Amino acid sequence: MSWNKVAVVGAGLIKFGELFEQSYEQMAAGAFTAALGAVDRGMDRSAVDAVIVATQRGSLWGQEGIGGNTVPSAIGLSGVPCTRVENACPSGSDAFRIGAMVVASGVHDIVLVIGVEKMRDKSTQEGLLARAAAGHPLYNRGETAPVLFAPFATRHMHEFGTTPEMLASVAVKNHHNGTLDPYAHFQSEVTVEQVLASPQVCSPLRLLDCCPQTDGAAAVLLTTAERAHEFTDKPVFVAGFGVATDHPYLHEKSTYVGLPATTMAAGRAFDMAGVGAADMDMAEVHDCFTITEILDIEDLGFVEKGKGGPASLEGETALDGRIPVNPSGGLLAKGHPIGATGIAQLTECWWQLREEADERQVAIRNGYALQHNVGGRGSGVSVVNILTRNA
Amino acid sequence: MKPVAVLGVGTAAPSLRLAAADVGAAWGSGGGRATVAVCDADEDTLTLAWRAAVDALAAAGVAPAAVSGLWWGTSRPPFAEGPSLAFLAGTLGLDRALDGALVSGSPHAGMEALAAAWDALAAGHADVALVVVSDALVPGLGTAGESSTGAGAAAVVLAPAEGATNGASPPARLVRRATRTVPALDRYRPDGGAATEDVYDGRLFREEVFLPLMAEVGAAVAGGDGNHPVTAWAMADPDGKLAGAVARRLGSPLASAPVQAALGDTGAAAPLLGLVEALAPAGAGTAGADGPRRVGTIGFGGGRATAVTVDVLRPVPGAAGVASLGPGRRASYVEVLRTRGQLEPMGEPIAMGVPPGGAAFVRGNVEMLGLEGARCRACGTISTPPSIHPTCVGCGGSDLEVVSLARTGRVQTFVVNQTMPPPFQAPLPLIVVDLDDGARIMVQGSPADAAELAVGDAVALSLHRYALERGVPVYGYKAFRRHDGGGGDVGTGAAAQEVAR
Repeated sequence: MSWNKVAVVGAGLIKFGELFEQSYEQMAAGAFTAALGAVDRGMDRSAVDAVIVATQRGSLWGQEGIGGNTVPSAIGLSGVPCTRVENACPSGSDAFRIGAMVVASGVHDIVLVIGVEKMRDKSTQEGLLARAAAGHPLYNRGETAPVLFAPFATRHMHEFGTTPEMLASVAVKNHHNGTLDPYAHFQSEVTVEQVLASPQVCSPLRLLDCCPQTDGAAAVLLTTAERAHEFTDKPVFVAGFGVATDHPYLHEKSTYVGLPATTMAAGRAFDMAGVGAADMDMAEVHDCFTITEILDIEDLGFVEKGKGGPASLEGETALDGRIPVNPSGGLLAKGHPIGATGIAQLTECWWQLREEADERQVAIRNGYALQHNVGGRGSGVSVVNILTRNA
Repeated sequence: MKPVAVLGVGTAAPSLRLAAADVGAAWGSGGGRATVAVCDADEDTLTLAWRAAVDALAAAGVAPAAVSGLWWGTSRPPFAEGPSLAFLAGTLGLDRALDGALVSGSPHAGMEALAAAWDALAAGHADVALVVVSDALVPGLGTAGESSTGAGAAAVVLAPAEGATNGASPPARLVRRATRTVPALDRYRPDGGAATEDVYDGRLFREEVFLPLMAEVGAAVAGGDGNHPVTAWAMADPDGKLAGAVARRLGSPLASAPVQAALGDTGAAAPLLGLVEALAPAGAGTAGADGPRRVGTIGFGGGRATAVTVDVLRPVPGAAGVASLGPGRRASYVEVLRTRGQLEPMGEPIAMGVPPGGAAFVRGNVEMLGLEGARCRACGTISTPPSIHPTCVGCGGSDLEVVSLARTGRVQTFVVNQTMPPPFQAPLPLIVVDLDDGARIMVQGSPADAAELAVGDAVALSLHRYALERGVPVYGYKAFRRHDGGGGDVGTGAAAQEVAR
């Protein structure tokens, strides 16, 4: 039996992209407005009892110390309790998990979970490439974000014969899905040939194997399962969630063909929800790089270990495939504004379970959707949230 | 005064070679036929010193912990003011109760370091002395020095002759020494200056200052002992004419010409690099029928000159000749300007997150320079580095001992990074290495290996300068592909690099 103590009654995001014209505060206000507007029976913003903000790198918008508690004022909720969550790339999904626990605790009835990230206010070199020290701050200088995942591609190719074409097929699929998602940063198709002809960024990953740096914000409104029907006839429940950590640095991994944090987090979420991978109708997973999605679908149990490449190439994860993955376009096409990423993935799951995803709607058979992030210096943390429309 | 023996030697040359003709072409002058050795962006006087020292210790069969003093002579240490000697000691794993001194300020520093170590041993203040001489000077743009300034390092392990080799006669011993001082300004670098300046009339100084000074110190150590004439001389040769003239005046051949031709004027390293060449079997050779061969070396600079003679009784361990320094890679003049920091892009450099003067480096420097891990006494797992692992990554235990990590291993997985902000240059391999002692680390690799690197490759680690951060050198280890397949045992300095090449 799923947990189902908390429901999502509103969700929304702003169009992701290089939003030079919008401030961090304006992006936050846009996402909050979108989430409020999605509440079927309407919700006055004064109903919000508490705010949880996910921002991973305040440094990217130049206000290292205060990202988070500036949000209530910016969105017309000054005075409301607010806490910032930072947990690497899963910051948004962990903020959601914490928001659900806050609601379930009975302390706050209606909680806004909002993710906001300004990735482009600083130059590319100063942004995620900054300092080229994604690993230990004193060691491994020259480590940029792709270095955190490319070693897994090298080893996956070595052990399982995964090919560059298989990696490319993930980018092709997610860019296609992105053309169907009006919120996606990229709105154009790419071909396998284009991916393979794109410049090497960090071998074996090429430019189109990598997600862009994107500004964005997304928000969801949580309330108790009991009160959900005050706001909608189509609530989506939090069926379960799981978090797991792993040794944080790349040289400490027990394996280079999988991310153990993902497997552990998924196991906990499935146990809590009382379901398994086969029960999922779709998944929004962390595809910061093409190899990451291949690792994810194996680690989450959608395909056998080592088979993620062929499964992607053969369309098993397409919109009409056995297990549709990243119908929103994923991080690769929709973008990866870190704190907002998880919330935006959950918004996509919410739309899909409510069958409101227009052209990219997948078949909902069992009523379950899975959302996943993994990140940190060496994928040392993962969060999995499972949503259901089944009461 | 105890007699002092040479137990072993080591040498090192940087990776790049610059043709004087390329320099000449840039300035519209002749340039000449010379080739000089130049540091790549990740090499400097300290990394060269490290390689020579590691090999000298290995050749002498002396464990780092047995070294009682480190004397380092370099015209221009990596920190103008700062912990240069302590950093070098840290990279070598020397005992914290370390005697010795950093000598700098002119190319004469190499001979001053040798003399100081000799005196400490002779007086009984030290048991085993490690003398390292190195230089990688930056010549001023458009100066004659651009076509002659090289880079390199040499190291010698010295100990009292009595008892140093378990009863056997030592391979070589120091014999005589003489120094002269004259207050003449030659090459110099002012406070805050980035490059060494040649202000003198080279011909005038050669004829009127250096030639008589060097001949005088040479004659002072060569004379008075007719049974053992000096059979070969070694010395620095900044203009390609001086050394030959001094040797002719002293009446013995010049043994240092091959190393001078290969590397250029290596400054403070030149007298000992030349001496090592003279100690190599193909150089001055070993004891003949009439007793030991005697070789001499002369260093000068900063208005000082010192000559030292050495008796060679048998081949000196580690003296492998100029060929062992490797051919290097030909670099363009523009590439050399970049690696020397004389050609820099506009715009603000992107600072690293952690300032090198910060507490994180205080905690991390010893384990970074010495390449240490924390070995779990319960399960044997080695967690690296120790300062961020209060518990074992294998079993969670906290009974850990700090160990020095193996310097060879195999590639578990890797990437080649093509997109990084300055100062990093693509292609930069980043490699997860399974070390032969079971530890696992992630380090940078060599651009030269980028195209062919593969999972399972055997690699050897060596010390490099990762970055020059806020003007401060940051050092770490890099993994180089071994072309011997990883079967044989290798040292960790120049020898390992040669195997890697």
